Amino acid sequence: MEDMKMLDKELIYLDLEAEDREDLLSQLSDILYEKGYVKSSFKQAILDREKVFPTGLPTLGVKVALPHTDPEHVIKPAILVSTLKKPIKFKEMGSGVNDIDVEMVFMLAVKDPAYQVKLLQKLISIFSKENVLLSLKECEDAQCMYNILYGELY
Amino acid sequence: MKTIIVACGSGVATSQTVASKVDKLCKERKIPAKVMAVDIKSLEQNIRIADVYISIAPSYKDYGIPTISGIPFLTGVGMEETMDQLEEILKK
Repeated sequence: MEDMKMLDKELIYLDLEAEDREDLLSQLSDILYEKGYVKSSFKQAILDREKVFPTGLPTLGVKVALPHTDPEHVIKPAILVSTLKKPIKFKEMGSGVNDIDVEMVFMLAVKDPAYQVKLLQKLISIFSKENVLLSLKECEDAQCMYNILYGELY
Repeated sequence: MKTIIVACGSGVATSQTVASKVDKLCKERKIPAKVMAVDIKSLEQNIRIADVYISIAPSYKDYGIPTISGIPFLTGVGMEETMDQLEEILKK
């Protein structure tokens, strides 16, 4: 049942402002840390991992990023979702070369991969649904995003 | 039976997701293949038994087996074409 708690209205943010990728990842990691989802080591682990294994995806409609790191930095699982006021440049997952102008971030705190893989699969299946990504971006409050995500994930 | 190996940085999220997607698509196309998800650290020891490597992490070396990008399985863009490519490789 741990799965059910991963999506939470208090972990959905709209129009977050950040200077750059590092600033954005720091802000999001701080939120998860302050709410008790991750250990203090999570932030540095996220920043380091993003440099070596970038997570930007050239999805249709809205470009997304999926920062995550090793389970050892996680206390309880969570999905932190945020739309961005201005696009932030991430490197593309896979090639690590191309720049992606990311407009929506899904930060994952993964605790038990085997257990959470089903939910992650559903989350990633949203990335190939252009209309769902566009509706998420058009939402004016967290409730709207929560309802759409809930409908897709559960 | 051919073996497909998928690797990502930590082996916790993206590689498992891509692996299960590829597994499902292989079954739909009736391609007999085993799909494995590993983290990049254990890739070297596992790649010897694999026939194809699906990459979702920057690759710094040539593993000597056919390599295809796993990104289409995450974005849905060009996924069918990538499956065609995979099927072609596995037929050989």
